[in-house]
Amino acid sequence: MRIVLLLLWLGMSSVSMAADKLHFRDLYGRGGEFSEMAKQKQGQTIRVRGYMAPPIKAQAAFFVLTKMPMSYCPFCESEADWPADIMLVKTDDIIDVVPYNQPIYVTGQLEIGTQVDEETGFLSRVRLVHAEFETAK
Amino acid sequence: MKINLVTKSVAAVATAGVMSSVMASGVTQSNDQWFKDGQATLQQKLNAPRINGMAKNVILFVGDGNGVTSNTAIRMYKGQKEGGSGEEYVLSYEQFPHLALAKTYNTNAQTPDSAGTATAFLTGVKTKAGMLSVASNVDRGDCQAGMKNEVTTILELAEQAGKSTGVVSTARITHATPAAAYAHSADRNYEDDSKLSAEQKAAGCIDIASQAVDSNVDVLFGGGRRHFIPKTMKDGEGKSGKRTDGRNLTKEWTKKYQNASYIWNQAGFDKLNTEKTGPVLGLFNSSHMEYEADRAKDKGGEPSLAEMTGKAIDILDNNKKGYFLLVEGGRIDHAHHAGNAARALEDGSAFADAVQAAMEKTYQEDTLIIVTADHSHTLTMQGYAKRGNPILGLSVGVDGKGHPKTTPNLDDDGKPFTTLSYINGPGAVKGEREDLTNVDTTDIDYIQQALFPKSSESHAGEDVAIYARGPKAWLMDGSVEQNYIFNVMGYASGLVK
Repeated sequence: MRIVLLLLWLGMSSVSMAADKLHFRDLYGRGGEFSEMAKQKQGQTIRVRGYMAPPIKAQAAFFVLTKMPMSYCPFCESEADWPADIMLVKTDDIIDVVPYNQPIYVTGQLEIGTQVDEETGFLSRVRLVHAEFETAK
Repeated sequence: MKINLVTKSVAAVATAGVMSSVMASGVTQSNDQWFKDGQATLQQKLNAPRINGMAKNVILFVGDGNGVTSNTAIRMYKGQKEGGSGEEYVLSYEQFPHLALAKTYNTNAQTPDSAGTATAFLTGVKTKAGMLSVASNVDRGDCQAGMKNEVTTILELAEQAGKSTGVVSTARITHATPAAAYAHSADRNYEDDSKLSAEQKAAGCIDIASQAVDSNVDVLFGGGRRHFIPKTMKDGEGKSGKRTDGRNLTKEWTKKYQNASYIWNQAGFDKLNTEKTGPVLGLFNSSHMEYEADRAKDKGGEPSLAEMTGKAIDILDNNKKGYFLLVEGGRIDHAHHAGNAARALEDGSAFADAVQAAMEKTYQEDTLIIVTADHSHTLTMQGYAKRGNPILGLSVGVDGKGHPKTTPNLDDDGKPFTTLSYINGPGAVKGEREDLTNVDTTDIDYIQQALFPKSSESHAGEDVAIYARGPKAWLMDGSVEQNYIFNVMGYASGLVK
């Protein structure tokens, strides 16, 4: 069992390591428009360093990835200054929440374009789907 | 007594002259470049005349949150960007001949906030944290008491003397430091009417943006559009306003003053005719202007702090009686609060460029320029890095012989660390800190590690530097209270009799 888990972990790690490393800023051009690189990488697996915003609800399979640590949820306060550059991360399993200031690496398939989530009603412009994440150690 | 003082100072100069010649001829290191440079600096200072005329113009630069450590890091960052090792670089205002240290505390706070500190250097009196140009006997938030206890600002004195006035900031123009120049408020957060209660409004309390429009200031450049337009209205970049009273203050501005203009983007800024324009309200962002590192991506385009400073001087200089100008590098502070040293240093570099622009457009003989910070931050620079080590990088030291190493210094846990870190802030994590071996700590988005966690890194309470050049700049000397800056500006310009 241990061997199987180890092999699984190694497999995941190799996917993570093989994915193109992108910065948040690589995805946006002037005025929050998508960059050429974002358009090129659409549908591809990328790896991004960022932070997990405090989750909107417990037992969720998604979270908001922020460029900088944010101690509040960018979606929760209507009056808050929402940063232009956040990503919605959708995972295949329920996430283990980490503190808002813990650096993480997220690997997932890049989706761009405005989309309203059917379940939550949240609007997003950039998503990483079928994503997995690991804390920076 | 006067004669004695003069005699003493002449004697001191003569003694220094003799000592310098003795030192130059009697030491083995007289051909060493460090020694020669030191001698040259000594001669330069011995020969530097005191400028004693009146200051027709006064420009006060405030690097928000730019404490001494921050300033040192900016020096290295800018020097390294320009191809040097960094340590020896000289920022524009570090060429100024006169220097003092300011004690920054507020009347009720050991570690100050920007409202209390701005009140100190703009009015000559310290007050409580969070209050703008009202006396310290007022309770924060008691706007009625605030109206009865306003204290006069250097900008208001300049207006009364027929001079032109300007306020420039990369923060919202209604934010603490710029607002303290033209507004009086028992709370810095009253940036628009939505922050005032019905009771406060009924009592006659006026929000900061409204006070800006009534201020008679000739040039206002900064961010903060949202506080000038109704919440039902969208600005040129598609962002909603905040006002609940339905007023569009940008329109009121253009109606109120002769030949006045309102601009909101780079194109409007570029079109300004500095010789002919009346009062100008330039609001280049809904909230704060972009960090310098992100400015190129702004939707409408934003001028740099140096460009705004230069254009403000060109406009204000049309008045033969002179001017008072406040320039704030407002986002050095914000980047430090975010624990993001790279953006702080980039904004600090832009701040130094703005001072350079002012130096090039003015004469020392008639313009007093003072450069300071309002308070410090918890940024620290540590760890025995070798000369020229990237200021944002991992600390790499020297070997036993004093030669540069190529591998990072390690802490007692065997992990590398950065030269810059914060005492508190978002960069502190639970448990073990991250191993930075494979992390690019020079990346613009990198958050420096910190000792204890706070969502927003805090101000720090140690003294900040004051640099000065121009008429009566020599009065900046020693360890002084922060409010003394006002006294020097008032005396040098004749605005305070």
